[in-house]
Amino acid sequence: MEKIKTIHVIKQERTVLPHVNEERKKYVQMRKTLLEALKNEGKTIPQLSAATQLPIDQVTYYLMALQKFGEVSVEGIDDMDEYYIYQLKK
Amino acid sequence: MSADYDVLIIGAGIAGEESALKLADMGFKVLLVEKEPSIGGKMILLSKVFPTLDCAACITTPKVSETARHPNITLFTLTEPESIIKEVDNTFSITLKKRPRYVVEQDCTGCQECETVCPSVVHDQFQMNLVARKAVYIPFNIANPRIALIDIDNCMLCGACEQKCPSNAIDFTQKEQIISVKVKSVIVATGFKLFDPIHIERYGYGKYKNVITSMQMERQLAPTRPFNNILRPSDGKVPDKIAYVFCTGSRDHTIGNPICSQVCCMYSIKQSQLLMGALPMADISMYYINIRAFGKGFNEFYMQAKDMGANFVKGKIASISEKENGNLILRYENIETGEVSESEHDLVVLSVGLLANSSVTKAFKNKILKTDEINYVKQTNLLQSPAITSIEGVFAAGTATAPMDIPDTIMSAGAAAAEVSGYLNQLS
Repeated sequence: MEKIKTIHVIKQERTVLPHVNEERKKYVQMRKTLLEALKNEGKTIPQLSAATQLPIDQVTYYLMALQKFGEVSVEGIDDMDEYYIYQLKK
Repeated sequence: MSADYDVLIIGAGIAGEESALKLADMGFKVLLVEKEPSIGGKMILLSKVFPTLDCAACITTPKVSETARHPNITLFTLTEPESIIKEVDNTFSITLKKRPRYVVEQDCTGCQECETVCPSVVHDQFQMNLVARKAVYIPFNIANPRIALIDIDNCMLCGACEQKCPSNAIDFTQKEQIISVKVKSVIVATGFKLFDPIHIERYGYGKYKNVITSMQMERQLAPTRPFNNILRPSDGKVPDKIAYVFCTGSRDHTIGNPICSQVCCMYSIKQSQLLMGALPMADISMYYINIRAFGKGFNEFYMQAKDMGANFVKGKIASISEKENGNLILRYENIETGEVSESEHDLVVLSVGLLANSSVTKAFKNKILKTDEINYVKQTNLLQSPAITSIEGVFAAGTATAPMDIPDTIMSAGAAAAEVSGYLNQLS
């Protein structure tokens, strides 16, 4: 027997908090921008920040999230051994 | 005297687990409650332990598994005591509050399929906010129980997890539960809180991305680390000039914690050794007031760090400021020469101290669980029976009583179990 979905029950009791919607929108936007910037070649975080004009600390945070969620992986390290190069996960 | 359990243990970190296992092995019925979704406390999140550099997870996970599977231990996660009342027959009436997981514990297989479809991301508190997690999540890879939960305050209420779950384990109808039990004794094993360095403004924590805490570095050094490599949070650079600021939030009257936290010197020295292994070209500077290497093998461990190349500077940090490139300038007084100097580093780690976690005292309704002057559970007979508290039948274990390292915590928990065993035998 198929279980009745329970999400409708909690929707009658709670609403989504405003910060949750804002953070989701931001994540969706950052994800799209970063994945698009990595489409053709791997990049370091400073290169990604320059290419997308996004603040470098935010690029770091969201890129690390994408790495954790399995969408991005490390390709190598730059010539100075300072920054890792990230690529789309194949 | 009848009761549901022989002992209630509050807190399932290493102290709570050790006491629980010792008592359960003696045949006592144990109820173990933990406010977090996983047992294991802070130790399960560590990289390695000092001075042996053994893998923390390798030591703690067998104990965690044994605790979760022991037939004499009943375990409730996401649960805290609301009230503890001592009755005239010397039993304790306990009211527990169990928060909903929104996942049926018996049905979840830990497959993490729900995480792949969850659209909501938030800071991962088990990675010390260095990386994000989903609103539906398994706390960390070696969590026990390794089952998902929903962070309802950060949930989009989209129902995608419920659609995706192959075992129909998601249940949004779950409510907070109030559980009443009767026990014969109680062990308080609620551990410690870490000092939040945001309270020392001059160190710039929370303002400068490359000023992190030692627990954040601990996560970076752990096998299940947030970045897969050691990086500074501002721009993902591999750090090559790292500074440690000792005694952050310890031995400091200005923030209300005048005592030594016992473990900061040694965990910082441990991290320096791990960093020198992971980043062989990095310079590591340790700004300390005194090195307290008092335990077995500790001084040798300190000397080993020196021999490996860690630079120990007897200096008190006055302030930290940030350069445009994210590097940090440390202004400090060299205690040996009296000179005020500045040095530049690309990552600063604050060796944060331990604070008392006294919130459990509020649960005791008709007796007072006394605390000492800095809010640790008062040991009323410290020299002869260190586990005894101000309430007969209530015992304390581990860092609920004072800052201590892992071996001392295990010994303290064993002592508490022995005291409880004696007390229960006396009752019967």
